[in-house]
Amino acid sequence: MIQLKNIWLDYEQREILKDVSLNIENGTTSVILGPSGAGKSTILKAILALTYVKAGEVIINGKNILALNDDELLKVRRKIGIVFQGNALFDSLNVEENVSYFLRYENRLTEKEMADKTSEILSFVNLEGTQTLFPDQLSGGMKKRIAIARALATDPEIILFDEPTTGLDPINSKAVLDLVNKLRDTGRTSIVVTHILNDALFIGDKLTVINEGRIVASGEISEILESKDPFVKDFFYELNQHNTILKHN
Amino acid sequence: MKEVVILRQSLKDKLIKLYDFSAMLMAILKNFTTTFKNRKDLLQEMYEIGSQAFPLIFFGGLFSGIILAIETGHNLEKFGATLLISRTVSLGMVRELGPVITGILMAARTGAKNTSELGSMQLSEQVEALEAFGVSPVEKLVVPRVFAGLIMFLPLTFIADMTGLIGGMFITTSTFHIDLVYFWNSAIGVLEFKDIFVGSIKPLFFGFFISSISCYYGLITTGGTKNLGKNAINSVVMSSLVVLLLDFIFTKVVWEIL
Repeated sequence: MIQLKNIWLDYEQREILKDVSLNIENGTTSVILGPSGAGKSTILKAILALTYVKAGEVIINGKNILALNDDELLKVRRKIGIVFQGNALFDSLNVEENVSYFLRYENRLTEKEMADKTSEILSFVNLEGTQTLFPDQLSGGMKKRIAIARALATDPEIILFDEPTTGLDPINSKAVLDLVNKLRDTGRTSIVVTHILNDALFIGDKLTVINEGRIVASGEISEILESKDPFVKDFFYELNQHNTILKHN
Repeated sequence: MKEVVILRQSLKDKLIKLYDFSAMLMAILKNFTTTFKNRKDLLQEMYEIGSQAFPLIFFGGLFSGIILAIETGHNLEKFGATLLISRTVSLGMVRELGPVITGILMAARTGAKNTSELGSMQLSEQVEALEAFGVSPVEKLVVPRVFAGLIMFLPLTFIADMTGLIGGMFITTSTFHIDLVYFWNSAIGVLEFKDIFVGSIKPLFFGFFISSISCYYGLITTGGTKNLGKNAINSVVMSSLVVLLLDFIFTKVVWEIL
């Protein structure tokens, strides 16, 4: 289980997260939804302790990771995979080297085992046979799926997705969202940050709505839709309109 | 009053940078033992920092020796002391010009390379990806570059020394008609242990500081390409100044102590 307890986070004298608390159950897909600049991606960075947290606790499997030293923190991070918004693929390495990068670093597998594992993961993301291609030879959707493959390579318990479908066409977006759902079936915990409502509804077991660094609603989709918070109502306006039309028809 | 506030802020920023840089140096020293683990990265960096810089250092050293021989030759000629050219070129190259020319040229080449590589990686979240997956960027990116600098700067300096002597020999024998055998006997005979020692110790420090300064400027890159360009310039300027400062310190210390 992942718990964020009363997180306060500043960046360049500006409050980015204000008293953020979250509980994420194991084996679920939680979606953090909100407009651009609301602090969604910062939550992911706080979960990995990649940024300085002014106050609060990030508890992963019972440990407050903010209290760990650098070496202990690196060990915790190895149990978490992340797919960055811009993919963050290593552009001087080919697909196979990108996917196996952290496997190679851990130095637990032989070359043959690593190659097999890479093929298996590439098959999971439907990109078999792309091992020798370089990131600049891939389309946006392929890059995203390679980034997911790289995140999966070390068998993490938790996977974080930062705006996984931003900039992708509808077909590639669907392929990426299908992968997120497929991961849930493998028992992994996923946390997805997005501003796209349809994506959130398609993959989320639980939604958390954030605005200006504060959580304004959190719960099942049905609970969120019934929220009286003006921001949530505005954010879900289009969806509510759509539901109303459906009811009338 | 506004100027005082700006000055105070600027000073504070510089002190923070100095603190961060010191922290990175400590992390480099702490991670030095990981070099063998990342030997593939080390070999790649040795090739890029060292082997690929060969032509630059070759010609840098050669022309320094030629210019040194011409300048000293014409001045010594006035006193009928052209026999001293070989000694001057030899001492000048081995003690000063060889290490400093190598240092300055490598500050530009290695400094720009490291800062732009790590800066682009920082801007495209690749450095953050390493951290997120539990890999220390200092261990994976900085230590191989610094270690490669430490290893490669010394042979590069020897190359600059040698090509400088060859350039000096060419001018001395052709323009000032000094005998070739005399040139080499005099050039080698004049060198003492302390000359070779100071000429060999400088590149180690230059290599360490140029590599670590340039990596630091790469890792602190934020914003966009404009800041990357700015940091690349700062990296080259700072590395070059450090080369000159260290050269001064070593020269002074060696003359005082040895």
